[in-house]
Parts: sequence; C-alpha cells; structure tokens
Amino acid sequence: MIAKEPLNVKRVGAGRIPLAPIRKWLLIGTALGFLGVFILIPLLVVFTEALKKGIELYFAALKDVDALAAIKLTLMTAAIVVPLNAIFGVIAAWAIAKFEFKGKNILITLIDIPFAVSPVIAGLVFVLLFGSQGVFGPFLETNNIKIIFSIPGIVLATIFVTFPFVVRELIPMMQEQGSEEEEAAITLGASGWQMFFRVTLPNMKWGLLYGLILCNARAMGEFGAVSVVSGHIRGLTNTVPLHVEILYNEYHFSAAFAVASLLALLALVTLVLKSLVEWKTRKNG
Amino acid sequence: MGIKIRNVTKAFGTYTAIQDINLQIQKGDFVALLGPSGSGKTTLLRLIAGLENLDAGKIFFNGIDYTAKTVKERKVGFVFQHYALFKHMTIFENVAFGLKVKPRKIRPTKKEIKEKVMELLKFVQLEHLADRYPAQLSGGQRQRIALARALAVEPEVLLLDEPFGALDAKVRQELRRWLREIHQKLNITTIFVTHDQEEALEMADTVVIMNHGKIEQIGSPEEVYEKPANAFVYSFLGKVNEFKGESLVTNFPHVKGTEEAVGYIRPHEIVLHQQSNENSIPAVVIHINKAGSTVRFELKRLDTDELFEVEMTSDHYKKQGPFHKGEILYAEFKNIVLFDRKTNSIQTEKNVQGEVVSAISSYMS
Ligand SMILES: Nc1ncnc2c1ncn2[C@@H]1O[C@H](COP(=O)(O)OP(=O)(O)OP(=O)(O)O)[C@@H](O)[C@H]1O
Ligand SMILES: [Mg+2]
Repeated sequence: MIAKEPLNVKRVGAGRIPLAPIRKWLLIGTALGFLGVFILIPLLVVFTEALKKGIELYFAALKDVDALAAIKLTLMTAAIVVPLNAIFGVIAAWAIAKFEFKGKNILITLIDIPFAVSPVIAGLVFVLLFGSQGVFGPFLETNNIKIIFSIPGIVLATIFVTFPFVVRELIPMMQEQGSEEEEAAITLGASGWQMFFRVTLPNMKWGLLYGLILCNARAMGEFGAVSVVSGHIRGLTNTVPLHVEILYNEYHFSAAFAVASLLALLALVTLVLKSLVEWKTRKNG
Repeated sequence: MGIKIRNVTKAFGTYTAIQDINLQIQKGDFVALLGPSGSGKTTLLRLIAGLENLDAGKIFFNGIDYTAKTVKERKVGFVFQHYALFKHMTIFENVAFGLKVKPRKIRPTKKEIKEKVMELLKFVQLEHLADRYPAQLSGGQRQRIALARALAVEPEVLLLDEPFGALDAKVRQELRRWLREIHQKLNITTIFVTHDQEEALEMADTVVIMNHGKIEQIGSPEEVYEKPANAFVYSFLGKVNEFKGESLVTNFPHVKGTEEAVGYIRPHEIVLHQQSNENSIPAVVIHINKAGSTVRFELKRLDTDELFEVEMTSDHYKKQGPFHKGEILYAEFKNIVLFDRKTNSIQTEKNVQGEVVSAISSYMS
C-alpha cells in the first residue's frame, strides 16, 4: 500500500527507546503479525491461485487478446501520466517551495485533494464535466471529441489521482535545500535554464525518482476513478485492474488471479526500487 | 568598480530591513559591513548583488545606474555564508561552473577551463582536492573553494557574507590574512559582512557600521574607533561599562552629567587601587579571570550595587596584585564619554577631574 503522509513531514529514523524485552517483542510481533495477515498472505494467495491450474493456463490467460489490450492500455496510460506528473509536479513544487505568493496555502490544500477524496468521486467529477450530460458535453459532442468512456478520460482521471505523489515528495525536500545553491549559480552567470538543469534538477533527482515510482505504481493500479470513466469496453477501454474485475465477475478465477499477479509483481518491483532510492538518498544526503 | 548606493530602502512585508541608506564605495576598497544580528547587513549585500529587489533608491556601478540590472548582468562574485557549493559536483566542477555556463561564443575551450580551474585551485592551495565532493571538505577548505569559484568568472566586485562566521578561531585567523592578501594581489572592490568588530577593524580599509537597517558611521578603522559618531558605535566597537541617571550624576559630580546623559567607560580605562583617593569609588571584587594576557575583573559598586568590568595587563596585575574575590578595592575612572540619550550624539568627553578632553584619544593609551 502507499503511505499517505502529511505534507512537510520529514521521514527520520525513530529514536531508540529502551523497553523491556517482553514488551519490545510484543510490539514487534503484533506489527509483523498484522503485516503477515493483511499483506503477505494475500500476496501469496494471488500467486498460488494464479498458478493453480498450471503454468500453461497462467500464460494463456496473460496472452489472451483482451488481457494484452488491457496491459497495453495500462502501460500507455502510465507512459503519458508519469512524465506529465513529473513536469507539473516539479513546477508546482518549485513554485510552492521557493516563492512567496498570495493563495499559496490554498494551492497546497488543493494539491492534497486527490488523496482526500474517494477516487470514485474523482471519476464522477470528470463524467459530470466531460460526459454527454456534462458541462462541456455539448461542446465536445459538436466537435466530435470523446473523453468519457475512452482513453483521454482514463488518462485524465489517472493524472488527477496520482498528481500529489511527486509534488508532496519534492516540496519538503526543496524547502530544506533552500535557494542558496541556485542563487550561487545565478551569480556565477548561469541563465535560468542552466540553473534549473545543472543545479535544481540534480539536487532533487532522488526525491523526484521516489515520487515517480510511487506515481507509476498508482497509475497502473488505479481502479476506482478509472472504473467510472472507462465504460469497461473490452479490448478498448479496459485497464489491467478493470480487466481483473471483469474476469473475476465472469468466474474465470485463475485467469483473474493470473492478470492480478502482474499487478502484484508491479508492487514488488516498486517496493524494491523504492528501497533502492531510499538507500541512495540516505547515502547522498 | 566603484559602487554608489543612493537612498536605498528595502522592506520585507511591513518590516523595513534597510532604511534610506546612502553609501559610496571606492574602486579597489576593502569594506566591512559591521553590525549586530538583524541590522540588515546581509540584506544590503544582497541588494548590491541584485539578489534582492529594492523598494526605493538607486544603485550605481562606476557611475552607471545598475538598479534595474539582473544579477547576471552585475557580474559580482558572491560568497555565501554557508558556502553554497554544489553538492553533486566535484570541487573541480564547482570552480569550473561559471566558465562552463558562459554563452558558447565567449566560452573558453575545455583545455582553457581546465588550466584556469587548476590555476585557481593552486591559488587557494587546494589543487589536490580537485576530485573530491564538497561534503568531503573541512569548513575552511569549503570557504576557500567558494572563493575560488567566485573568482573564476573574474568579477569586478567581490561580496562575502560572513566569510569566516562558521569557522573556528585559528582557521578564521588564517583565512583573514589570506583574504587580505588576495585583495592586495587582485585589487578588486571587496565588501564583506561581519558581526565581529575585531575582524572588521583588523581587516578592512573602510568600516561601515550598521544598526536597525541604517548606517551609523562610515570611516577607516582608526576613525570609527577613535571618533565614534554616537553611543551605539562606541559601545559596539569594544566593551563598555554604562552608567546613567542617578549613578552618573551623583557619583561623578565633576562630570556635570545631566539626566539625559549616558556615560561609557571602557574596562581598561578604570584603575584599581587598594587605598581610596578623592576620585575613587569603592567596589567589591565579584570575579577575577586571569587567563590570557589581560586580567579581567568583575566588580560591584558599594554605593549603587551596579556591576562593572575592569581590565588590566597581566604585567600590571603582577605589580599591583594579587587581588582576591570579596576584597574591597577603589576604582578610579580615568576617562568617561558622555552621550546625549536623546540625540544619541557625543556631549563631551571628560576625565573625572572635570577637564574636557579635547579629542577622544586618551582611551587608546
Ligand atoms: N526574506 C526575508 N523575509 C522576511 N524578513 C527578512 C528576510 N530577510 C531578512 N529579513 C529580516 O530583515 C532583517 C535584516 O536581516 P539581515 O539578514 O540583513 O540581517 P543581518 O544583519 O545579516 O543579520 P545576521 O548577522 O544575523 O546575519 C532581519 O530582521 C530579518 O528578519
Ligand atoms: Mg546575515
């Protein structure tokens, strides 16, 4: 699962508190037990269920036309959403961390909205805006642009849901670093772009990468918001999570778990990358 | 490059950090901006560099109006208080930065850059550290690299914000001498910020004393030390004992101080005796500190219970002493400077015999 931390909170190593051994092991045991029941076992179930009917059926489920289409759509969505979030995230974080302006607090609050509202509601908002009965519906219809129940809608909904990851990762980091290095670059004759690419960006690269990894994981795994705007058109507007749901509802259990195992794998890869970046950041910081 | 600052004001929100400042700096001058914390030294330095926008006034470089020029156009070298070295670059890359970001037309070749950087690193005596990262350097080394980096682009003005603030006493002493040498060699107009009066008086050719966003006095170290413009400068440039009101009027009858007057006496201008004489005031010894070449006493006046400090050389102490904690001594105030509390300017300077001392020179002896 993805941690939702409040803005401006720095991750720091917890202080060591002396505790009696029994209490210590009780605490550790509870935490591990909880993790086991709620995370480890479900993960194992996904893989065992997926492979229950043999490895051939497993791959057959993945090679199915609709499954491939769903995988393609998911990858494509991520390929659009992640770079866009990188750009918007960097711009928003920079504006917030380095400048003082009116309405800054409102902006910070707005950035948190995607985490605060239910993804289903986020999806509904887009339907209300761009659907045929929506605010821009007539305009879109006359110009023959389709957003809801098609790919642009999925991309929009995914951007909305994943936007905070990069920004929230970068703001505390940039605030902590301050502007001195950037000012030094400017006094040495650098232009704004040179400053950005040679000083600002290298300084935030690990934070940015961290945010992008989480953003990518969510972009590929998002269900609620996408489900509302997608229309579940098989082979066209089904992403991987939606496809899993359809397969499951149609009682293709092993196929459903097989496709789901892809998402589980993604989660594992994400965790490994995330730890690598964390380790790297700590080493460089 | 000569710099002229005319009626410059800068406010942060409702707080005025720089208030209508006028200052002229000659080409090749070595200037210290001296003042207590929060007096606006950094802000003034950043205004000169263009890192801060001013609210009113004008800044001229060599007689040309530079008020609207960008930081880049001003071509100043700026050394930040915490060095602001680029963490992700090696020392070599740090120093080379200013050369590498030049527009292609005027950018030196790779070879030229390398030569220039190595020359600068040699100049700051750190060529062996070229491949290290800033995190692997000591504070003093970082400071020298920050200076080398600023010098790489051959600025005509060098601005340094508390260049030695974060360093220990010994390294600081070394770097002070070294910075003076660099100024002598390159002769670029240099302005540095400090809140250490000793540093300012020792290093600078011109000292600018600031307080509450205003300039209190500008002058050579001798001028500001010997002819302080007002009570603030006098008390900021050295230790003082302050007496005012009752304790001034009744106990220094010869001084004829008024209620508005504040009297300042430097600790080394008080002589301690074991016998009373007509001008002395009895006081009890609270504390004696004998470490170093001067011996410092803390005493309490028996009449008013006021604490004051006295200093004498250890040679002198050996002849006179030893004194002990709790002992009653008689303090003779050799020199007192009176300031008008309202106008903050010098009223008169008198010795305790009531004679007006024509110039404030006696307290150097
Ligand atoms: N960016 C800013 N926003 C708001 N107030 C500021 C800002 N920069 C400086 N100030 C205020 O302006 C005043 C002068 O600050 P400045 O940094 O120039 O002082 P200073 O003389 O350099 O002090 P120090 O010796 O502590 O560095 C201070 O009261 C400070 O709080
Ligand atoms: Mg300062």
